[in-house]
Amino acid sequence: MDFLKHWLLTILIFLPAAGALVVLFMKTRDGVRWMTLGTTLLTFVLSMLLFVTYKWDKGSGYAYEQDGGVVQMVQHAKWIPAFNIEYRVGIDGLSLPLVILSTFICVLACIASWNIEKMTKGYMALFLFLETGIMGVFLSLDFFLFYVFFEISLLPMYFLIGIWGGPRKEYAAIKFFLYTLVGSIGLLIVLIGLYLYSRQIIPAPTPGAAAGTFDMVRMATPEFQAGLARVMPGGLTGTTAKTFFMLLMVGFLIKVPAVPFHTWLPDAHVEAPTPMSMILAAILLKMGGYGIFRIAYPFFPEAAKEMWLVIGIIGVVSIIYGALCAMAQTDFKKLVAYSSVSHMGFVTLGAAMMTPAAVNGALFMMIAHGITSAAMFFVVGVVYERAHHREIGRFGGLATTMPVYTGLSTVAFFANLGLPGLCGFVGEVLVLLGAFDAAKSDSILMRSGASWNSIVTLAVISCFGVILTAGYMLWTMQRVFLGPEKPEYRGFAEVDRREQVVLVPLTVMAILLGVLPTVFFFAYTDATVKGMFGLFKLFT
Amino acid sequence: MMSGMPQILADIGLPVMPGGSELVPFAPELILVATIVGVLLTPFFIKRSNAATALVSLTGLVLALFSLIFVKDAGLGDRFVPMLINDHYAVLWKAMLFIFTIGVILMWFSTTASMMHEGDGPEFFTLLIGATLGMSLMASTANLLMIFMAVEMASLPSYVLAGFRKTDRIGSEASLKYVLFGAATSAIMVYGLSMLYGLYGTLSITSYTVGGVSHPGLADQILNTSISAGGVPLILGLAGILVGVGFKISAVPLHFWCPDVFEGAGVDVSVFLSVASKGAGLSLLLRIVMGLAHGAGYAPSPTLNGLAIVIGVMGVLTATVGNTGALAQTNIKRLLAYSSIAHAGYMLCALSLLVKTGDQDVANAAAAAILLYLAIYLFMNLGAFTVAGLIFRVTGSEDINDYGALGRRSPILAACMASFMVSLVGLPPFAGFVAKFNVMAILAHGWWWVLVVAIGINTIISLAYYVRVLRVMYLTDSDEPPMHVNPLGSVIAIGCAVMLVLMLVAFNPLSKLTTNYGKLHMEKAPAPTAAAPVAQR
Repeated sequence: MDFLKHWLLTILIFLPAAGALVVLFMKTRDGVRWMTLGTTLLTFVLSMLLFVTYKWDKGSGYAYEQDGGVVQMVQHAKWIPAFNIEYRVGIDGLSLPLVILSTFICVLACIASWNIEKMTKGYMALFLFLETGIMGVFLSLDFFLFYVFFEISLLPMYFLIGIWGGPRKEYAAIKFFLYTLVGSIGLLIVLIGLYLYSRQIIPAPTPGAAAGTFDMVRMATPEFQAGLARVMPGGLTGTTAKTFFMLLMVGFLIKVPAVPFHTWLPDAHVEAPTPMSMILAAILLKMGGYGIFRIAYPFFPEAAKEMWLVIGIIGVVSIIYGALCAMAQTDFKKLVAYSSVSHMGFVTLGAAMMTPAAVNGALFMMIAHGITSAAMFFVVGVVYERAHHREIGRFGGLATTMPVYTGLSTVAFFANLGLPGLCGFVGEVLVLLGAFDAAKSDSILMRSGASWNSIVTLAVISCFGVILTAGYMLWTMQRVFLGPEKPEYRGFAEVDRREQVVLVPLTVMAILLGVLPTVFFFAYTDATVKGMFGLFKLFT
Repeated sequence: MMSGMPQILADIGLPVMPGGSELVPFAPELILVATIVGVLLTPFFIKRSNAATALVSLTGLVLALFSLIFVKDAGLGDRFVPMLINDHYAVLWKAMLFIFTIGVILMWFSTTASMMHEGDGPEFFTLLIGATLGMSLMASTANLLMIFMAVEMASLPSYVLAGFRKTDRIGSEASLKYVLFGAATSAIMVYGLSMLYGLYGTLSITSYTVGGVSHPGLADQILNTSISAGGVPLILGLAGILVGVGFKISAVPLHFWCPDVFEGAGVDVSVFLSVASKGAGLSLLLRIVMGLAHGAGYAPSPTLNGLAIVIGVMGVLTATVGNTGALAQTNIKRLLAYSSIAHAGYMLCALSLLVKTGDQDVANAAAAAILLYLAIYLFMNLGAFTVAGLIFRVTGSEDINDYGALGRRSPILAACMASFMVSLVGLPPFAGFVAKFNVMAILAHGWWWVLVVAIGINTIISLAYYVRVLRVMYLTDSDEPPMHVNPLGSVIAIGCAVMLVLMLVAFNPLSKLTTNYGKLHMEKAPAPTAAAPVAQR
């Protein structure tokens, strides 16, 4: 057990890559598929062990376990001592849900990929490498290591969209690559700049060793913040801090994606094969959200307070604009893509409001959206495979030919639009409540001088997003599933066993998370969020 | 018996021949000279001599590489001071150069060997080893005369190598362009060097000690000369050096030869010039600039600041011109030529730090960063050119558009090429990332954020054309049959790709090596009184 506890995270990161290497040497197509499924399943099972090993009731404060904090199961080794760069992995309430979501979605995406016939071996190998990148991003606690995995996850996705995608796959793939790279160059600049400041804050432990740190937990401690206040020109709210914060935010907001950095997403989604759309929406977008809560806010809470309005407006605009765009779509998949933009807007808004409820809601939103968007994209994929088109206007009456499919889809649709009792509701409502919380006189934003009017205006506008979402979701349901049966869809096969294996777990999770959010989610995240707020409140 | 020999010679008034131990620091160069002789003699014994001469050169290079073990801490006898310098920096550069040239020859076996006229081998390898000799000397001198000699020794064989495909019109054109450009820049460089000599009355840039007597170099005297005092001659002198060396590293605006020569020359010559020639030029410039900084005691001065800005601007321009120029290329060798211009630009940016901050640690770190970059860049380029050469051998085409569906036709080559392209962009999991990160970190440490941002923007531009290669290889279809490539070539390509991953994972030993070896041998300047009369000149 001790061995496992020590090595579990490392195994989670590198097991998929090892599987990918094995896959490359497999002979038969079925062998490749089963090997990939085996690898993703094993990764998923191992990740479930985290529920056992992660002590959710231990520790308070955003710090390492030995310092009484919530960050556990840390494993570290020196990598580049000249810059104090380490291989450092660990887990806390922020990463745990995302890790499990990722391994879960990867299993389903693997099953959804079963009918990929073109270059199966390459597809599965890239898919597994991608999973390694994803696990690395969520488990790294070293900023440099995080950046490396963040970049590593780009390349497989480029190929997966570019080779196995739709008609405009090349355009979509390069757009995805370029947009993310632009963001990550900003990230790299902050990475270097922050390290240089950290050298002035943290002296070399022994003579001859390098000063400074890339340790993300350490960079979010009060001591480090005090140090930054000392060494950065203008202190924690100076131009340097604000620039760094905004560079980080742009890097992550591109990934989220938030309006106006979102234009790569509809293209990527429309062109990507169904399983990759699932991964993209359910996991890759969450890297952006995760970066916001793991890096941008804890590193620069004071700058974040100063810039809250910009972030808040970006969030609200994403919610409303995304929903309006979704409403105008005729392509089913593009509609789901824009609904992702709209939903992830709640994550951005939740971050901007800086209240515990909003942040908890944003974190929950990421998981909920991971479940529902994966389900939605699979729903689209199922019907596309049969009809070979995605024109919403040409569908209709599918409920009579495919009742089981319609039933499962309905759960996904309602979870996505935020019906109470399903997972989408909890996230949205918490973010909105949190947004109104921010207007209270003792909230972080109010105490750092934000205007009450702006907060309430943003909160009220974002409420309309919920209505818009319900509008386009219900309208789409009506056009696709309801109405008279159309002759051209009469012979459609019902969802088969494989498709049920993908859809059923997603709908079950959508219900479970909606009914028991505390058991499945907040029990694990609460301490971490509280710990982070200890840091946010430090200077107010 | 030999030990008595020098004494006898001295007794009869003949110049004393150096003793064996004194020659040790010069061993790699001597071995290379012997190799040249061996290569020239080979055809007398073996009829089909191409492969044989290649093997002779290979043996010579391996021996030269091993001799470095003894050279490393051998110091330098008085006889070679101040013409040559033997320090760790030179040793590491030579090791890299020899390893790289060995790689080039192995690559020759797998790519151009089959296309080379039987009997051309001796000429080719004489020139190749001769150029290597010059490039190895370029890194171990700080003497104006020797600098010129070494640069020419590297350049002249390169001119011929560039036009080695004699029947090829583009090759001849490239060679002519190269010669004309080279001759002009050499002339300017000599003019500049003579200015410096005229100003300071010494040929050595750094101070040196002979027979226990310390002599000031010209760098020590620039310290006492602001631009206005040194005046136009000083500017001309420094500019001359920059022009001469800038030509070797194809810095903007002296880069025009590079794409044409790379396109016209054989793939082996192109790769040799892209790494060895540029690396040697950078090493030389590094030593000169470091010498100037050291002479000034690393204190900021208008002259050095100006030099730093000129080099920095040159670096940014070089990177930008290289990257934007590459966007429109369809020939793989032209594309890689522009890419190599861009990478030289990144390294120039790091070089500018040597004199920017007035901080010796930063200067040393920048020198180490350049060495590290070269070490990684070497494998990226060797690999990329090898793949290009292998494909050329099968298809006879250097057009990127003919790489269609390479992912299916030759999965291994395509995967290797993809790794090199990604590494050249500077993305993990390949070492190109840490190379670039290192340079950016050093620049930021020197508070030169403009350059950091410039490199960042350039990285984004560069993605566009590197990815185009990936796109053609994997995202397009083609009816061409599967490709059967030379196994040795595949081994080289795979080896380079694996090295790139290893260098990222085991970055630490590599960076330790370059940090330890990045320190140049610099003597303390003698007391300023010795320099006083010169200042009044």
